[in-house]
Amino acid sequence: MNLSKEKHVVVRIGIAEAEQLKQLLFKRYPFDEWATFGRFGWRNTPNSVILTLASIEAPGPNDLDGAAGHVVINEPYTLRMALSAEKSTLGIGVFHSHPLNCAPHPSVIDDDMDEYYSDYFLGFAPGRPYVSIIISLIREQLVVSGRVFWQGTWHSVSHFAIEHNPCKTYREEPSASRLLIDRVARLAAAFGEEAAARLANSTVAVIGAGGTGSIVIETLARAGVGRLVLVDPDYVSPSNLERLHGSCPEDAERQVAKVEVARRHIRSINPNCSVDAYFGSLPHTDILDAVVQADVAIGCTDQQHSRLSLSDLSIRYLLPSIDCGVMLEGSNGKVTGQIVQLVRFLSSDPCALCRNMVSPNRLAIELMDEDEKLRRQAAAQEALERGEDPDPYWTGPPQLNTVGYLTGVAGSLAAGYTIGWLTGRFDPPFSRIQFNLVSQFLDVQEIDDVNRPNCSCGRARGWADQGIADALISAPPHWPRPMKLAQYD
Amino acid sequence: MSRERILRELAILNEGGQVAELVTNGRDYVVYRDVPTDGARLGLPAMSDVIVPVPSGYPAPPIDLAGLPHGSTLLPRTKGGQNSQGIVQAGGSTWQLASYHPHANGGGPPWDQTKHGFHTYLDHIISWLERLA
Repeated sequence: MNLSKEKHVVVRIGIAEAEQLKQLLFKRYPFDEWATFGRFGWRNTPNSVILTLASIEAPGPNDLDGAAGHVVINEPYTLRMALSAEKSTLGIGVFHSHPLNCAPHPSVIDDDMDEYYSDYFLGFAPGRPYVSIIISLIREQLVVSGRVFWQGTWHSVSHFAIEHNPCKTYREEPSASRLLIDRVARLAAAFGEEAAARLANSTVAVIGAGGTGSIVIETLARAGVGRLVLVDPDYVSPSNLERLHGSCPEDAERQVAKVEVARRHIRSINPNCSVDAYFGSLPHTDILDAVVQADVAIGCTDQQHSRLSLSDLSIRYLLPSIDCGVMLEGSNGKVTGQIVQLVRFLSSDPCALCRNMVSPNRLAIELMDEDEKLRRQAAAQEALERGEDPDPYWTGPPQLNTVGYLTGVAGSLAAGYTIGWLTGRFDPPFSRIQFNLVSQFLDVQEIDDVNRPNCSCGRARGWADQGIADALISAPPHWPRPMKLAQYD
Repeated sequence: MSRERILRELAILNEGGQVAELVTNGRDYVVYRDVPTDGARLGLPAMSDVIVPVPSGYPAPPIDLAGLPHGSTLLPRTKGGQNSQGIVQAGGSTWQLASYHPHANGGGPPWDQTKHGFHTYLDHIISWLERLA
């Protein structure tokens, strides 16, 4: 079977589904195989296909032939999947295991099965991908191979992830260069050379390249992360210089884009780090195409639309993210609060709406076009003159004050937890945490948010583009197309 | 705009017998057809089409405003109707938007995109046209 590598194909699976798959597929270990069908959402970008597991359609009692050592799927199970596919918008996939410590290399029987199914399901699910994935347990490590039949071509799957844990992809042998290992010798000594190699093969999207984002970017570039996707819609201004790592006064004078400052800084730190820098905002579709390919996204912006977008991506595209923010409080000339907040967004976590992290009215102002802003400000002024409440027309965005050491703390922690995720060495031990630098014992509070019943975040998990009707936000039509900075030679 | 979401919401209305459609003219609008009014009591039309702008980034921000055909005799009698929020062209007609903000301290509940949408906004429109001054 000829496999195209023209597209970067990523398969992402939720943590709960991965556990369910292990239980199912390894139930006849160590010698015999097992299988299940699944349904996939997807997003097709100019250079990649992102596939997300939306559901596992586990076999019933007689759906597989238990007498055979290899996988034999009985016809009623296949027909059931095909008929239900006609009523769905999702793609179809089959997972099967290979015996313990056997490579997930497709056999001739596997080739025959995939040739048959890709043709068969096309009749019931035209225009949708057929996904075939083999999972093995080799020396206690999950090793995965896969291929996708998409628009008449077979593509090999180049990257697997169980949300924040990138899996070992069969025949992909990531290795950090000697130079890189030397550069991150202390990190490699602490976490192992394999961890350094994982970072070198990872992509992190950083949304917001201001004070918090700039420390995230610097920390990840120094740690040897292989690729960074940077997103920010602003230029450097003089008030940014107090906390924007890598910036200098000339950047403010020349009004250089923050992503350009970040890109230049990364190059001076780690020229091996590949950078895709976008001048624009989420959820614009061009930026979505880039961000959705990352292993982890980090939210470093006080813009509520970015925060809501990241939450949406974590649900529909199973893209794990960490959102960080800071806030200063004061009264009577004293600083009474220096608050840092970190929020984890995994697909099963409560979304930004469930967590009451966004204000619809503030979102409205962030997202409206300039004409509407002017019209509403004028209407608010007129309301004031009539003695009426101006708030229905316009409520100006709050001025959020901050300082560099506070954004530095937040950014360093977010980058650290991201390194923990990517290397598989540790996880954030919270889903949402706040602490106050000027309170006794920092007044650390873990906030136990819960999923609201009937929230759309419970419906579209893993549905990718096919769950667009349940998207939490859309890109305003008046937004200009984001500019991608040209690559350095 | 989440076209798919809006079409799903309009399908709910259509199932209940209320015709509503998504129209685009540079900006996106939903037009509700033949919405009942309290006009007959005042010798005014008992039905009217109503236009509502789709907010940028929908469904994140609240649905806001409502408009009637430009020159409608109902308009001066509606809440906010004398405080024009703009004239728009859409669906082959000219409309005037009124200062009506049910989800922004205007009498309705705070916007909750998990509950509200163009299907629930119909209630606010009916209420708006049932309370003519």
